[in-house]
Amino acid sequence: MNKQTIESLDPRISRAQLPTEVDHIPQYEVLDQFVTYEVFQQQKSGGHFIHVGSVHAPNEEIALLFAKEQYGRRGKSVGMWIAPTNAIVSIPEEDVDMFDATPEKKYREVGAYMVRNRVEQYKKDNRNE
Amino acid sequence: MYGNISIVDQAIGKKNAQEDPEKLAAFQAKIDRGEKIEPHDWMPADYRRQLIRMIEQHAHSEIIGALPEGTWITRAPGFKRKMALMAKVQDEVGHAQLLYNAAETLGKPREEMINDLLTGKSKYSNVFNYPAKTWADTAVIAWLIDAAAIINQVTNSKGSYAPYCRALERICQEESFHLKYGYDNVVTLATGTPTQRAMVQEALNRWWRPIMHFFGPPDIASVHSEILTRWKVKMASNDDMRQQFFNQYVPKIWELGLTVPDPELRKDEVTGKWSYGDPDWDEFKRVINGDGPCNKERLAVRRMAEINGEWVRNALKKPTAKYTVPLS
Amino acid sequence: MNKEALKNLLYRMADDSLIIAHRNSEWTGLGPILEEDIAFSSIAQDKLGHALALYSLLHELGEADPDIIAFTRNEKQFFCAQLVEYPIGEYDFSLVRHFLFDTAEKIRYELLQQSSYEPLAKLAKKVSSEIKYHTFHAETWIKQLGSNGNEESKARIQSALNDVYPIAFSLFEKTSFEDAIVADGIFVGEETLQLRWVERVTSIVTASGLTLPSADYSVHYGGRNHYHTEYLQPLLDEMTVVFQIDPSAEW
Repeated sequence: MNKQTIESLDPRISRAQLPTEVDHIPQYEVLDQFVTYEVFQQQKSGGHFIHVGSVHAPNEEIALLFAKEQYGRRGKSVGMWIAPTNAIVSIPEEDVDMFDATPEKKYREVGAYMVRNRVEQYKKDNRNE
Repeated sequence: MYGNISIVDQAIGKKNAQEDPEKLAAFQAKIDRGEKIEPHDWMPADYRRQLIRMIEQHAHSEIIGALPEGTWITRAPGFKRKMALMAKVQDEVGHAQLLYNAAETLGKPREEMINDLLTGKSKYSNVFNYPAKTWADTAVIAWLIDAAAIINQVTNSKGSYAPYCRALERICQEESFHLKYGYDNVVTLATGTPTQRAMVQEALNRWWRPIMHFFGPPDIASVHSEILTRWKVKMASNDDMRQQFFNQYVPKIWELGLTVPDPELRKDEVTGKWSYGDPDWDEFKRVINGDGPCNKERLAVRRMAEINGEWVRNALKKPTAKYTVPLS
Repeated sequence: MNKEALKNLLYRMADDSLIIAHRNSEWTGLGPILEEDIAFSSIAQDKLGHALALYSLLHELGEADPDIIAFTRNEKQFFCAQLVEYPIGEYDFSLVRHFLFDTAEKIRYELLQQSSYEPLAKLAKKVSSEIKYHTFHAETWIKQLGSNGNEESKARIQSALNDVYPIAFSLFEKTSFEDAIVADGIFVGEETLQLRWVERVTSIVTASGLTLPSADYSVHYGGRNHYHTEYLQPLLDEMTVVFQIDPSAEW
């Protein structure tokens, strides 16, 4: 008995001779996705490596192969890192308020060292003497 | 590309009542301050569920969206078009990858999402259930469907869930290439030979209704949509986005001397609002429920791709490898 | 320099690139894993770019515009090797063909960096970085699905190698211009290329726990002299169907 196949406008699909009625719907096992790697891209020489996303791959070599095209196919890249996602350590969400504990630490910012006015004042005062 | 899909989930208001009121208030306050939610932040169960559903449908729409234009990948006329179409279809696959990752950060693995796509349990944008009959259809899709998608995605990129916003930002950058390519393609046909011009007009006629459906039916005010708006999951009403589309693109269609198959379409110069004819919302519902011209084929093709790739994936599986949820 | 000989070489290379690009692009959107779909599509796009660059060199030598050359000839006017004409088959076939083809491309372009025809030598340098990714991609997969894979993948890749390896020698079929090409220093010749290719392919295949079948070199010859498989003309008919609506129009 001949099964009916899909006549598609897409010649690629017509060639595949897909049956119009499905007898098998593929289903994956959950957590079937290899390892997850995070991808860091450097866009210009000397620039920071910036996190741009992730890829699923069975090992580092394939992860690099995938990351290069998924994240580097547009624009310029001069470097790329990958790291297994589970190697990334972050400050737990409940502890991010640690950042709030130091709201006023002007002494380590440039804004705290504006002495130009003082110099001008000094020059003015001394000229007047 | 993407379109608003019916994301209605009526249970949403009830579930909310079970959340810790203090946490819920802090969550809302954070969103109100314009801050974004990261994967490991506390979030209401309904927020998580709604986002998974939305991002997942978006991802499916990208991967299925590769098919109508893919129809012409072996027939694109000339080097420039052939390369650009390949790059565009490739981008759609790339967008699916980014979006599946974003949805995964909420706890649903890619495989589970693909399973749900293949069984028909989860949906994708209706517009991809229509056929690309001629080369000109790909031009109209690349210009106007991508234009509609950009309106939708730029709006959503201002939402509250950080991984989705980040994915959308990148996607929008790439889509702007699609839009330019599509416009260039439409202009070339519209200003070309009489045959080319007829081709593009016919394609526009075919795609107009699906484009109207793309943004979804006019929203009905509900508790549900009110909460989603407050959570910055839904960022604009379907009609607002449709109006924006009219404003930006109808004049561009008309200046090419092309027409839109809707005699009622006009702009009220006083209110600035466009009125349009009923695009047959019953058809929209029929297609969502599986009865569109290409629903069967699209799913069959996706299943074929998965079946054909099964041996590759099986060969790569390592018993020691352990899946991890993407970072962000 | 023998201009006809030069053009003959350029046509062979350009047609190979065009047809393999076309074949590989058939996977775009239908590949086995999302990330791999993207990678394989990029390679196809690169190949199309190489074809365009080579047709542009021909155009500078007085041949027609690249679109006209690519989209209006019939099979009897094509110079591609039979290897690139075959349908994509399953992914094992496409991967193995990609591996065998790109290994040859890499060596060919390395050798062409010394070409006496300056524009070709320049192009050879320019494409080398792209081709590096292509062979990295191909070799990684052969290894992963070979010695690092499972029984099924090993059997599939081995079987594809058995089928494709003999056909791959069609790449090195000489034409009547071979002596002139070598004498003028345009290219060191197909024989040198084939020797190096066999060496490289053998080492990767062996390292991947696979074996090469014996091959009768000449069985699949013909393409360089316009004798093609039954698959080329239908491919061309499909590829050019829109362009042929009006070849004088701008698309």
